[in-house]
Amino acid sequence: MQDVSAISGNSIPADEPKLNYINNGHTLKSWLLTKDHKRIALMYLLSVSAFFLMGGIYAAFIRLELLTPASDLLETATYNKVFTQHGILMVFFFLIPAIPAILGNFLLPLMIGAKDLALPRINLLSLYIYWIGGIITLWALMKGGVDTGWTFYTPYSTTFSNSYVMAVGIGVFINGFSSILTGLNFIVSIHTMRAPGMTWFRLPLFVWAHYATSLVMILGTPVVAITILLVAIERFARIGIFDPAIGGDPILFQHLFWFYSHPAVYIMILPGMGVISEVIAGFSRKRIFGYEFVAFSSIAIAVFGFLVWGHHMFVSGQSVFAGLVFSFLTMVVAVPSAIKTFNWVATMYKGSISYDTPMLYAIGFLGLFLVGGLTGLFLGSIGLTVHLTDTYFIVAHFHYVMVGGQVIAYLAGIHYWWPKMTGRMYSEFWGKVSAMLVFVGFNLTFFPQFILGYMGMPRRYASYPEELQVLNIFSTAGASVLGIGLLMPVVYLIHSLFYGKKAADNPWMHPGLEWRTSSPPPTENFKEMPVVTWEAYDFGEESGLDIEEARRREAVTV
Amino acid sequence: MTAHGDTHEHHEPGLQHQFEDMNQQEESVSIAMWAFLAQEIMFFGGLFTAYLVFRWRFPMAFAAGSNHLDPFWGGLNTLVLIVSSLTMALTVYYAQKGNRTLQVAMIVLTMLFGSVFLGVKAIEYTDKYNHGLVPVTGWNKKVKEDTSAPHVTEQDCTQVGHGDGDDHYVNPKGEFQWKDCSLVKLAQEKNYLTADEKIGYFTNGEIDADKFRDKVRLFYFIYFVMTGLHALHMIIGLGVMLWLLWKAWIGTYGPKYYAPVEISGLYWHFVDIVWIFLFPLLYLLGRHFLH
Repeated sequence: MQDVSAISGNSIPADEPKLNYINNGHTLKSWLLTKDHKRIALMYLLSVSAFFLMGGIYAAFIRLELLTPASDLLETATYNKVFTQHGILMVFFFLIPAIPAILGNFLLPLMIGAKDLALPRINLLSLYIYWIGGIITLWALMKGGVDTGWTFYTPYSTTFSNSYVMAVGIGVFINGFSSILTGLNFIVSIHTMRAPGMTWFRLPLFVWAHYATSLVMILGTPVVAITILLVAIERFARIGIFDPAIGGDPILFQHLFWFYSHPAVYIMILPGMGVISEVIAGFSRKRIFGYEFVAFSSIAIAVFGFLVWGHHMFVSGQSVFAGLVFSFLTMVVAVPSAIKTFNWVATMYKGSISYDTPMLYAIGFLGLFLVGGLTGLFLGSIGLTVHLTDTYFIVAHFHYVMVGGQVIAYLAGIHYWWPKMTGRMYSEFWGKVSAMLVFVGFNLTFFPQFILGYMGMPRRYASYPEELQVLNIFSTAGASVLGIGLLMPVVYLIHSLFYGKKAADNPWMHPGLEWRTSSPPPTENFKEMPVVTWEAYDFGEESGLDIEEARRREAVTV
Repeated sequence: MTAHGDTHEHHEPGLQHQFEDMNQQEESVSIAMWAFLAQEIMFFGGLFTAYLVFRWRFPMAFAAGSNHLDPFWGGLNTLVLIVSSLTMALTVYYAQKGNRTLQVAMIVLTMLFGSVFLGVKAIEYTDKYNHGLVPVTGWNKKVKEDTSAPHVTEQDCTQVGHGDGDDHYVNPKGEFQWKDCSLVKLAQEKNYLTADEKIGYFTNGEIDADKFRDKVRLFYFIYFVMTGLHALHMIIGLGVMLWLLWKAWIGTYGPKYYAPVEISGLYWHFVDIVWIFLFPLLYLLGRHFLH
């Protein structure tokens, strides 16, 4: 174990330039052919952000169109393409890779005390696969786009749609292998690359969450891959198992699609839960309440997540018995999520809470995820869901989980580990402002949509009755606030790269292994192989992480 | 504590920079291959599900389609693959023993069997092409109508032969061909038809040859996608074996370092096992049904 002074690490060698993963090689080749998980994570950060921006622009068009009841800004056919492409870019190219491929890639080896992931070349390959899938999809969008909805429901997608379904399908198919390889890499690394003393129950919960995510990635993604491949073949060859006109079954598509895509929504929330566990424990300066429960609830979500896909098909002609079973299992899968939420709150209880930017985001997450999760129960009960299916209630629900959950957790994580990733501190003031704006803007955008949905406004239409306009104006106004809130970090984070204060190795005084190496870390992550002798989230005074003591020392040295 | 630098001065051959020792590396690649195979099972699983769903609904169409696959070729291929699994296992064994000559010989044999399998598959696909059994319009042999041949009157589909290899075989657009509904007739008489079949094969209470053809076409669609994906895996496997052959030839593998041989073997056996499931499902099930 490193000694106390090494951990508290508030000393920055002023003059001597440190060799770290960023300045270790400046050529384009040294980036494009790198095997360093940290560089790959940074390249993911850039690519994923680009897709997020594109998806966001589509979202802006959706909200602008819905400002007025009539379909006036966009033609209805164009509107179909806009919401489809918003969904495809956000789900497949932003939400799924966001936390695992960026933060997971960067932090997982650091957190378990490894030099790299177990399969660095596979890691690079996954990035290239992501790029290839992305380029094919973008090409298809430029040629004319796709209008099937991100779910590619048959027989519309196989028989009737005249848009670029096949090209987008192939893009998504290829992209799927990127997340399969990432998941595979994580599983192997967590099994074999842990440093001496880093037992399973000393792993940060971020790692547990990524283990669960990876299970879903490698067991779910191939199913949707083969399904989309079948859709593509069916379109190409005009034959098929999904076309009811010749004996095929469109419901089979929905089963196969949701068998992946429901677990996939857990790919889109589990990593976020991992981030939140780190941030809440860290900024409450307290060991997480019920570590084992939070860890196993991640695994439970991954397992039960595979058994609930039918709740997307309550009105698709599924038998009542199947509906009952899926409804029950949906209630069951809510339990582990609730365990997590209660444990986070219990962690904050009597904690020494500081309201830094990541913590503000995390507290926002707690509220939004609570709303998102509970409205999920509305939709999982077979009676009420008939009224709410395909309305804006659904849209609001999954945005509360996906944006209020994953995106906010992602932002919390980016802020939390930004000093480690870049070696710079961002402006705390602007960070807090953006966290507030995102929270307010988000609620203003999506809360009215619950009411709209309950009043019966269907999703996926470009026009709506006039009496619904007021709430839609709220929503569009909120979207602009949210947009500004999301763009602000881009500005001040980039600003911090050039003008930000140099970050200490452990600016938050947190105990995780990633904070016990320099900021930014060297290429091989640790100067010496770390040996773990402490439990996870050990904020005890003996580990030198007493923040009051550190501040006193800092005051003396200054 | 081990030195943790990027440069290992004198490490063992084949040790990657991110690992501390060979044990860690071997364990990692082995878990990685098992996880990859789990992924592959799910990948094929989607297709097996589709097969099950439609076989459950249209057993007669599947039996009829299955009757046109040649169990001789399928059985031969099963045999060939099982033997190739043996030679693959022996490759691993001889790599562990450090016997380069036999290792190379076994790899060559494995590749040979793999190629025989693909060759047989090509023969079978060609046969389907010639008989209008490829479910994609235009991908079958195009045969223009021969006006000099005696005119064939329209026949009840329960009377004609299998609709292939007959003198009056005509297929100008290269469409999927299926004329024989005798199985439906039989099953109807014995009251074996499923609820889906009673709707799926009939128009106004009469057996509809076109509707039945579409269901058989569904069988061939699944047949081609499944065996095609399997063949693709075989081709990738042969590529892996080619690489192994080169590495074995230059003497890379021995008692201390044989993990690549072992995990390539895992992959090879997996692809074999997929075929062990495909063969009975596609070739054998329902073969002599009502005959």
